[in-house]
Amino acid sequence: MKVKQFLLIVIATLGLLSVTSFKETTKYKCMIQMTNYTGEAAYVVISLINPQGEYEKTLYVQGDDDEWYHDISDWWKFYGKKRGNLDAITGATIAGGARTISVIDIEDSKIDAGYSIRFETAVEDQEYYTKDVQFPLTSENVKSKQDGTGFIRYIRMMPN
Amino acid sequence: MTISIWRYSHLALAVSSFVFILLASITGIILAFEPISDKLQPYQVADLNTLSLSETVSIFKDNYPEVIEIQIDANHFVFASVITEDGKSLNGYFNPKTAQFLANRKEPSKFFQWVTNFHRSLFLKGIGRFFVGLCSFILFLIAISGLILVIKRQGSLKKMFSKVINENFNQYWHVVLGRLSLIPIIIITITGVYLSFEKFNILPKATTSHIVNFDVISETPKLDLLQFPIFKNTKLSQVKSVEFPFSQDVEDYFILELKDREILVNQFTGTVLSEEKQPLVGFFSNLSLNLHTGKGSIIWSIILAIASINILFFIYSGFAMTLKRSKAKLKNKFKKDQAKYVILVGSENGSTLPFANVLYKQLLQAGEKVFISELNKYSSYKRAKQLIVLTATYGQGEAPTNANKFLKLVESTKQNKDLKFSVVGFGSLSYPDFCKFAFDINIKLNDYFKEGTAPFTIHDKSVEAFEQWTQVWSKSQGLQFKISEKELVIKPKLLKKLKVLEKTQVSKNPDQTFLITLKPKKSLRFKSGDLLAIYPNHDYRERLYSIGKINGNMQLSVKYLEGGLGSNYLNKLELQNKFKAKLVKNSSFYFPKQASRVILIANGTGIGPFLGMLHDNKKKIKTHLYLGLRTQASFDLYKQQLTNFISDKKLRKLELSLSQEANKTYVQDALFNDAKFIAAMLEKKGIIMICGSLVMQKGVLGVLEKICATYNNKPLVYYQNRQQLKMDCY
Repeated sequence: MKVKQFLLIVIATLGLLSVTSFKETTKYKCMIQMTNYTGEAAYVVISLINPQGEYEKTLYVQGDDDEWYHDISDWWKFYGKKRGNLDAITGATIAGGARTISVIDIEDSKIDAGYSIRFETAVEDQEYYTKDVQFPLTSENVKSKQDGTGFIRYIRMMPN
Repeated sequence: MTISIWRYSHLALAVSSFVFILLASITGIILAFEPISDKLQPYQVADLNTLSLSETVSIFKDNYPEVIEIQIDANHFVFASVITEDGKSLNGYFNPKTAQFLANRKEPSKFFQWVTNFHRSLFLKGIGRFFVGLCSFILFLIAISGLILVIKRQGSLKKMFSKVINENFNQYWHVVLGRLSLIPIIIITITGVYLSFEKFNILPKATTSHIVNFDVISETPKLDLLQFPIFKNTKLSQVKSVEFPFSQDVEDYFILELKDREILVNQFTGTVLSEEKQPLVGFFSNLSLNLHTGKGSIIWSIILAIASINILFFIYSGFAMTLKRSKAKLKNKFKKDQAKYVILVGSENGSTLPFANVLYKQLLQAGEKVFISELNKYSSYKRAKQLIVLTATYGQGEAPTNANKFLKLVESTKQNKDLKFSVVGFGSLSYPDFCKFAFDINIKLNDYFKEGTAPFTIHDKSVEAFEQWTQVWSKSQGLQFKISEKELVIKPKLLKKLKVLEKTQVSKNPDQTFLITLKPKKSLRFKSGDLLAIYPNHDYRERLYSIGKINGNMQLSVKYLEGGLGSNYLNKLELQNKFKAKLVKNSSFYFPKQASRVILIANGTGIGPFLGMLHDNKKKIKTHLYLGLRTQASFDLYKQQLTNFISDKKLRKLELSLSQEANKTYVQDALFNDAKFIAAMLEKKGIIMICGSLVMQKGVLGVLEKICATYNNKPLVYYQNRQQLKMDCY
């Protein structure tokens, strides 16, 4: 019995290790083109959404002044609790009419697995769009162009 | 008192906004250090003026499989965002020549971010931004009204930068610093307002819209990146950013943003797909931001910091002056038609008012009916017998603002013919038109009424002089009163500690003259010719002595007078005693640094400053001394020092005139004997300095006038205007 239990534990740990170490990721170039709205530059948060529709991970934040993060309320409910380190994945806010290219990391296991990517936008004293752009992460979609519904005109993605 | 519209606006604007301006200046001073600390980072590794864009673009392309963007900031740091061979993304500063990664982008300092936020919105978001923008505009108006006040004060726009006369600390520095920081402050405020406008979308949006004809876009002929003409011909210093094509699609292109243009470039052929000039709004926004923040320039940042510090000083000194002014207001017990005595005041900044008020109170106490008002409010006074005018002069002999209509009013107002008037002028002898307006009034009033007492002038708010006048005047009125000096006394400030080193004995000198040597602190800077003000009774009464600087100590030559306030005080001091006195700069009576020849003329104790000047005549400028004393024995006091100067060649010739010896000579006689020599040295731009009694000065000037007319055919004024004549007489 003891041997069996021991083996089980070994298998379980190995299994876990394999899962954690098997995080193959790919870099994607992601271009965000804004509409010609007037006002302050926009905060844009890119998140990974799991099949249940919940936030799983923050992929990128355009906007480096964390004083305003709580205005992006849906995401803040997820991020605000733990406040992980975003230093490596933050950029500047994007003004109306401007475009920005950023590089995001997505685990390969999340592609074609029911996960989605979400772009939410907020502008000081203006609207807040939780799902400015949201689409399922399929191998087809990650090299596509998707139109926005709020401050974003469109986004383009491309694996690197 | 009425104050001019400009001064009123200047003050009202300042009062209404000083809290915001104070906060903005303090934070502004702090923020000036942000661009400085940024600029000091070591990421400016290449000269961007010599490097072409094609070199940088291709070296990046060669080194990294994927380049997203290259940016060049105001500090000439090259920032890029790339993906490396092993799939890592790198964001940070790069060497534009080698594409070598230097450092990660510096996280904007939380502290500066916090201060910036406070500076532009006081943490009140939109409302705060509005207020800060508004106050920036108000500060601009304050600067403009200040400029007009300075121009009015100096007399004309041309004289804007001529010398300001130092009457009191706050006022002097308010004007001097105001002139210097005017331009930076105007720039700060205009750019500040502009930036606020931008935030509130009042300005048209600065967007460039490119139109690319995708139907004719072509992948051929393919050209090497290095050969793109547009990249080859663009120096890196003109570039703001280059965004690399998003994909290998021909529809994706390079976006090249230059200082003044945005250009789209085909990624295969290098042809320009579209070119748009940056709209003017964008250009101004950029300029405003750089000018307002000092981004990219250490020198400008420092200027901005200094201007902000000056603003703090203006707030302080401005309010200090206002408080002082409001202390002096006019209140009346009797109506104008009841009063027998009418006091009229002309004052630009209120400093004459305390004098008028003291006189008013004294007359009230004496049981007289008095009325006090401003000169511009002159009207008929039915029962008035005596009119007293106390007035300052403003600018170049002009009327102060609250008196500028008086001369006309005198003509148009009906008044008792038997009214008697007395005029007292307040001013400073350092202005060329000393008390001119007071004299103008006196002449005007003379046409209509009878003069009570002769016009009287008061230099530098001298309480003593005012006391003298009140005595004369009250006697003429059959009144008996003494003004209370206490109300007029300004406690002497900036006193320096001095120690008595040496003193000669009065009894040993036939003229009761003695020399006293005082040792100041080492840090005290002064020159021979400066004045020492002592306060024998520690009150308003001051006595001035000319200083001779000898071995870093002050030597005063003092004539002892029975009952003399200053001389008694100094004579009673024992060796090693310490006392306090004030140093008064007197730069118009310094020994010249360079001159072909100098003639010093003195009588009695007037030799004091000259002893110091001769002692320090290390360049051995050819100097003659004409000294007038009473007897041979009087000379003993100075004999030793003067003989030493002669043997050191610091003094070339000493001409001694003794007025109480057998042949009775005066300095005037000695000068007359050397008339030819003096005329010649004046022509050769030599300098004459006179120190001593006013009687001697008058005599000497008479002789010099004659000499100039006879030998040089010019009036003495000719040399006086060329600053060849320096005088300090009493």
